Amino acid sequence: MCSCVAVFRTPMSRCMSGWAEPRPLPWLFPYQEDAQSTRLGEPIFRPFVQVSLVHGDQSTSQLTGLIDTGADAILASSLLSVELGVDLEDHDGEATHAVGGRVHAARYKTIGLRLYPSDSAEDVYQEWQAPVGFVEGWKSDGFVLLGSVGFLDRFTVTASRFAQAVAVEDREAFDDRFGPVLSA
Amino acid sequence: MEPIRTDFKGYEGQYVAIDARTGKIVIADKDPHVVLRKAKGRNHVFVRGRVPYADEPLYVGMG
Repeated sequence: MCSCVAVFRTPMSRCMSGWAEPRPLPWLFPYQEDAQSTRLGEPIFRPFVQVSLVHGDQSTSQLTGLIDTGADAILASSLLSVELGVDLEDHDGEATHAVGGRVHAARYKTIGLRLYPSDSAEDVYQEWQAPVGFVEGWKSDGFVLLGSVGFLDRFTVTASRFAQAVAVEDREAFDDRFGPVLSA
Repeated sequence: MEPIRTDFKGYEGQYVAIDARTGKIVIADKDPHVVLRKAKGRNHVFVRGRVPYADEPLYVGMG
């Protein structure tokens, strides 16, 4: 059973768990155009989804999260720690990541994340907890990089440049489609 | 499914927020905290990030 919870906020009840919600998974997200670049004269489209970060009673605005199957973790700009009131001196662990010939130091905190549908409706989201590595000197397009631990282990994600969209499903969807690969 | 297209011209060096339904930029400022604050709680709006200048290198992932 997925530990993610579907949340629908109403004035009476902020959170409801379960899947009998207005927006059950799967959610489809169209690819988004790169802010800067073309490649060989063609626009570049990337697999982004909308997420926010939550720490205690603080949360960020909705942000673009770049889905990165090559990343082991969730990484985010340290700018967001200011918005959340996260004290990065009091981190859960520190790690360096070598990516693209550069080394990035990330300080990890376990915080909440919310995934929103593609129209960014504020009152529909799924929320879960995951370790997020905050990185100084952030250069990536978007503020959050969604890697394996904390995102790809929470959902089954299918990206198709042919369809120009990303599908986010319940994490059991992979086994339902292909049969269990990993024995318990 | 059509990708979200956004006209980023004229916003180079600024942080921007986008309307998810139209792809249009609805908030822009050189200070990221201003954009993050203005976008918070705004329905159908997400913060995309900083629009780089044309001569800045193309980063992929954390680049």
